[in-house]
Amino acid sequence: MTYLFIILYAITLIYFALSERTKKFVWLLAIQGLILFGVVFFSLNKIDIFDFIFILLETIVVKTLVVPWFLNKVRKHNQLKREHEPYVPVFYSIIVVVIILIISFMLSNYLNDSQMHTQYFTIAFTSIIFGGYFIMIHKNLFSNVVGYLIIENGIFLLSLAVGSIMPIMVNLAILLDVFMGVLILGLFINRVGDTFKSVKTEHLSKLKD
Amino acid sequence: MIFFAFSIIISLLTFLLKHKTLTNILPKLFLSAHIAVSFWALFKINQFDSIYYKFDALSVLLSFVLSILSVTTFYHSYLYLKRHKVSVEQESNYYAALMMLITAMTSAYFAENIAVLWISVEATTLLVSILIFYEHTEEALEATWKYLFICSVGIAFAFIGILFLSMTAGNNGITSLSSSKLIAVAPLMNPLWLKITFLLVLTGFSAKMGLFPLHTVAVDAHTVAPPPISAFISTTLMNVGFLAIFRIFTIVAQTEIIHWVQNVLLIVGVLSIFMATIQLQRVNHFKRMFAFSSLEHMGIVALGLGAGGLGYYAAILHLIFHAFTKASLFYQIGQVYQFFKSYWIKDVSGYFKLNPIGGLSVLLCFVSILAVPPSGLFVSEFLIFKALFVNEHPIVAVVVLALLSVIIYTILKNILHLLFDDVPTGLKVDALKVNPYETISQFVLLSLVIYLGINPPIFFTDLINEAISVLN
Repeated sequence: MTYLFIILYAITLIYFALSERTKKFVWLLAIQGLILFGVVFFSLNKIDIFDFIFILLETIVVKTLVVPWFLNKVRKHNQLKREHEPYVPVFYSIIVVVIILIISFMLSNYLNDSQMHTQYFTIAFTSIIFGGYFIMIHKNLFSNVVGYLIIENGIFLLSLAVGSIMPIMVNLAILLDVFMGVLILGLFINRVGDTFKSVKTEHLSKLKD
Repeated sequence: MIFFAFSIIISLLTFLLKHKTLTNILPKLFLSAHIAVSFWALFKINQFDSIYYKFDALSVLLSFVLSILSVTTFYHSYLYLKRHKVSVEQESNYYAALMMLITAMTSAYFAENIAVLWISVEATTLLVSILIFYEHTEEALEATWKYLFICSVGIAFAFIGILFLSMTAGNNGITSLSSSKLIAVAPLMNPLWLKITFLLVLTGFSAKMGLFPLHTVAVDAHTVAPPPISAFISTTLMNVGFLAIFRIFTIVAQTEIIHWVQNVLLIVGVLSIFMATIQLQRVNHFKRMFAFSSLEHMGIVALGLGAGGLGYYAAILHLIFHAFTKASLFYQIGQVYQFFKSYWIKDVSGYFKLNPIGGLSVLLCFVSILAVPPSGLFVSEFLIFKALFVNEHPIVAVVVLALLSVIIYTILKNILHLLFDDVPTGLKVDALKVNPYETISQFVLLSLVIYLGINPPIFFTDLINEAISVLN
C-alpha cells in the first residue's frame, strides 16, 4: 500500500510540472490531501487514538477540503485561469522532477537511519525540493503559495518518515503553517490583486536601493 | 502561563471593544504585567513554569530588554498614532497587534521546548506582518508579502531541521523536544543529522535574526514599517531569531561537531558583514541604512558565537547593546521624519540646525552604533575581536576590520550630511511641532548602553555568564 501512495504522490508532482492552469493546481493539492489521508490511515495507526484522529481530520478536512476551497475562492476573486509563461518550459520541468526524484532516492539510501522510513523520506524530500523549484519558475503570487503548500505537504510526509517523537505537537505546528500559508497569504494575494489589478510578482519590485 | 492568558484577554478586549479610554488604559496594564513577568522570572530563575516554559538566564535578560523597549515603543507608537490622526478603531487594532506580538516574543524567549519555540516564532511572523502593513501603501503591501512569504518558507525549513533533531533524539530514547533533555543526550546523537539540523535552523531563522542568507526580508520590512515597529523588528524580534539559533547551538555545542558549526557561523558572520558593506554603498534611504547596519551587527554577533570562549559572552553583550542603540535610532528617525517628511538621504539635511536636541541624540546614536568609546558596543566588539585573535582566527578578524572601516566611512558620510549640511530650500520650518521631551527615551537608552558597557553591575554579568555556562 505504501508504494501505491508514494507512486500516486509522485504522479501529482509530475502533473504539477505539466500543468499551466491554476484550477488544476487547486485540484492537485486536493488530491495530495487525499493521498496524505490514505498514508496516515494505513501506516500511522499504531499511535495514540487521539493523535490518530486529529491527524486524519487534519488531512481530510484541512488539506483536502478547506485549503483547496479557499484557494479556489482566491483564484476566482483574482480571475486567474492560466499561468502565463513560466520561467522554464514544461518539458524541462518534467525532467527536473525526475532528476529530483532520483537524487532523493540516492540521498535517502545514503542517509539510511533505523528511525527513518526510507520510501516516505524519498517522496517527502522530492516534494520539498520541487515546491522550491515551483516557486522559482512561476511568476505569480498564487502559484508561489501553491509551491509553498507543496513544500508543506512534503514536510508533513517528512514528519511521518522520521517517526516524530511528538505527533500532536508536530501536527499542530504544520496546521499553523498551513493556515498561515493559505489564509494569510491568500488574503494578501487578494489585496495585491485589488491594488495592482494583477498578481504577478513583477509588481512587487519597488523596494530596492 | 497566567501572563499569556492575561495578555490574550487584554489584546482581545482592545481589539473588540475599540473604546477610547480602554485603548489608553489596557496597554498600560499590559506593560505593567510584562515588567512584573520579567521580575518574576528573575526571582524564579532556572525554574520551570509548566513543562513548556523555563526561566533561564538568557530568557530573563532578553525579557528585560523587551520590557524596557516595550515601554519606549508604546510611547513612540502613541506619538506616531497621534501625529497620523488615526481613528480609535485603527488605534485599537495597532495596540492589540503590538501587545500580541510582545506576548509571542515573550513566549519564544521563555520556551524550553523547541516545538513551542518554533510555534512562537511563527506567531511573531504573523503578528508583525499586521504592523508592517499598517500604513497600507503599495510599498507596505510589497514588504509585508515578502516578509510573510520568505519568513514562512524559512521557518518551514527550520521545522525540517527540528524534525531531524527529533529523529536523532528519538534514537537515543528521548521522547520530547525539551532543550535540557536534548542537551543531556546531545553527545550520543548522530553528528551528520545534527549538522543538517543546524544548517536548516540557521538558514530558516536567519530571516528572523536578519542574518545572511535570508536577511533581505527584514531590510524591506524595516523600510516601510512605522518607526516604532521598525525599532522592534530590528531589536527584540532579531533577538528572537538569535535565541532560536542559540538554543540549537547549545545542543550541538555538547558534541564533536562544535568546531564545524563555529566555522559555519564565522562564514555566515563574514558574509553578513560583507553584504552589509556592499549594500551600504548603494543605499539612499535612512531606514534601509539602519537595516543594513543591523545586518552588520548580527554578523558580528555570529562571529562572537563562531569565535567561542570570550566571544560567547561578548555576543550576548553585543546583542543587548545593539537592541538599545538601534531602537533609539529608529525612534529618532521617526522624529527626523516630522521635519523633512522623507526618509530619503537626499531630502534630509541640516537637522542639527532645526532641532539641536534631536541632532545631539542622532550624533550620540551614531557614536554608539559605530562602536566608538564610550559606547558599550565598543566593549562588546573589542571582546569579540579579542576572541577572534585569541582563538586563532586572525584572518577573519582582519577582513572584518577592513569591512567595518568601509561601513563606518559610509554611515558617517550620510550622518554628517543629515546633521550638518544645509537645510533643504523650501522646507516649511513653521509647521514643526516636536517636543524636546520626546528625545528623553533615546538619551535614557543610550546612557544605559554606556553604563552597562563601562560599569556593568554584577547581577548583569552573572546572568550573561550563566546563560553561556552550558557552552563552556
